[in-house]
Amino acid sequence: MKNFFLSLKTTVWTLLVLICFFFAGAYLMPAHREVFAPMNEDILLRWVAHSAAENLSFTWWFFAVVAGLVLLTVNTLVCSIQAVKAKWTRADALIRISPQVIHIGFLFILLGHLLGAGWGYKLSGMMPEGAYAPLPEDKALRLEQIHVQTDAQGFMQDWSAEALLYEDGQIVKRGTLGPNEPLFYKGVGIYLKSLNFDKGPTAVLVIAKDPGARWALIGGMLFMAGSITLVVLKWKKVYSTAKDDERRKGI
Amino acid sequence: MQTAGDEALRFSLRLPGLFLNDLMDIILFILYPLALIGPRFILPALGAHALFIVQSAVRFGRIPLIGLHDTLGFLAFAVGVVYAVAGTKRKRDLLTFIIVPLILLLLAGSRAAPALPGPLPPVLKTVWFELHVLLSFTSYALFAVAAAFGIFSLRQNDPSAEISQYRMALLGYVLFSLAMIFGGIWAYYAWGAYWLWTPKELWTTIVWLFYSLYLHARLVRGWAGPKTVWMGIIGFAIVLFTYAGVGLLMKSSHEF
Repeated sequence: MKNFFLSLKTTVWTLLVLICFFFAGAYLMPAHREVFAPMNEDILLRWVAHSAAENLSFTWWFFAVVAGLVLLTVNTLVCSIQAVKAKWTRADALIRISPQVIHIGFLFILLGHLLGAGWGYKLSGMMPEGAYAPLPEDKALRLEQIHVQTDAQGFMQDWSAEALLYEDGQIVKRGTLGPNEPLFYKGVGIYLKSLNFDKGPTAVLVIAKDPGARWALIGGMLFMAGSITLVVLKWKKVYSTAKDDERRKGI
Repeated sequence: MQTAGDEALRFSLRLPGLFLNDLMDIILFILYPLALIGPRFILPALGAHALFIVQSAVRFGRIPLIGLHDTLGFLAFAVGVVYAVAGTKRKRDLLTFIIVPLILLLLAGSRAAPALPGPLPPVLKTVWFELHVLLSFTSYALFAVAAAFGIFSLRQNDPSAEISQYRMALLGYVLFSLAMIFGGIWAYYAWGAYWLWTPKELWTTIVWLFYSLYLHARLVRGWAGPKTVWMGIIGFAIVLFTYAGVGLLMKSSHEF
């Protein structure tokens, strides 16, 4: 059994099967929007418990992907532990450790997804100027002024909104929301997604608490560091091997 | 409130731009085929193309990577740059006859797609987005040249072409991974979610998994060789569908 999880063939076949499941998902998802649209509206676990479990004929690929990722995680862990335990020389330490850093980064990204899927919350809605909305965990949000910048043709160039965040009835954060400029407080992010003018200026907001985001970011950084190191070292190695071949052939 | 006079003024301002675009395209369609004489002859086309990209960036005050027109044009340029670097010591060969028509095809696609003039929408005005698209299309170009090396390797039975395919695919995979990480950071700042379940994201994951499969399969006896060379070719077909096909056929978070 250990050999099964330690085998690179397991990695290859798992990746291949995962790709097939993702293909199925990419086909089924746009064909059954009513089932999959709520996936992004709340944390994933609620969608799994309600929509996914009730529509297995369309969502089976999602559960298959999760199973495939579990297998890939075990496979990655076993292979990486084995690689770290192996005897190293000083010369090949970097080229041997960098794939393991990539693997750890990948696992951290999966951990981030897992935490984000099961914990935290995600709310969205519209708030006009001056509105006040209660939020989970005894927090509340007040939206003060909305500002819009337009160009000479009347196209919106930028927008922002002044917001106040309350906790236990006290103001704990004050700031300006804008595109790509959320307001963060104790892991809660308040995002100004867009504006709506149907009934006067109204902010389209997303309020999200994702405990996995930090882990995913750490994973991304590790993946980046490992892959850049690996590509530099591999490039050199492949290049020098090619040079040796050329020399042997007398090119 | 806009008047007919404003519209006429805007139209007259647009005319020189249209003429300039036509002229740029004609110049590129003349210069790129010169590379069929020899790989080094691609340099004038790349020089002119780089100037046009910079000119477009200055004119619109943004990174010229919005919509099919911009991105196909940039992809053609990036494929040319990768080919120029990878083919420095090569003579005219099958690779040239794959790459140059591909560049012309991408340019023709760019020409056919409508340009999106004007500044960036506010949500795209961030360095994370710029890095995301720049790295994405650079990686697509590397995957394109990897596929071309794959065809070369199969036709000419040349092991060094297989190594070149691997190098292109490895670098492409790393840049593509970075593009996904930067895209995730951008999406987190814009919408509070670094990942969304949409067909585009699923296809992007398929591309990433497919090249992960290629890189791992290359280490396995029984897979390494013609099978992985074919993977490097099929991978680019998946990339093309993810880039153009998904955008045209399905709704996603990548519509602006």
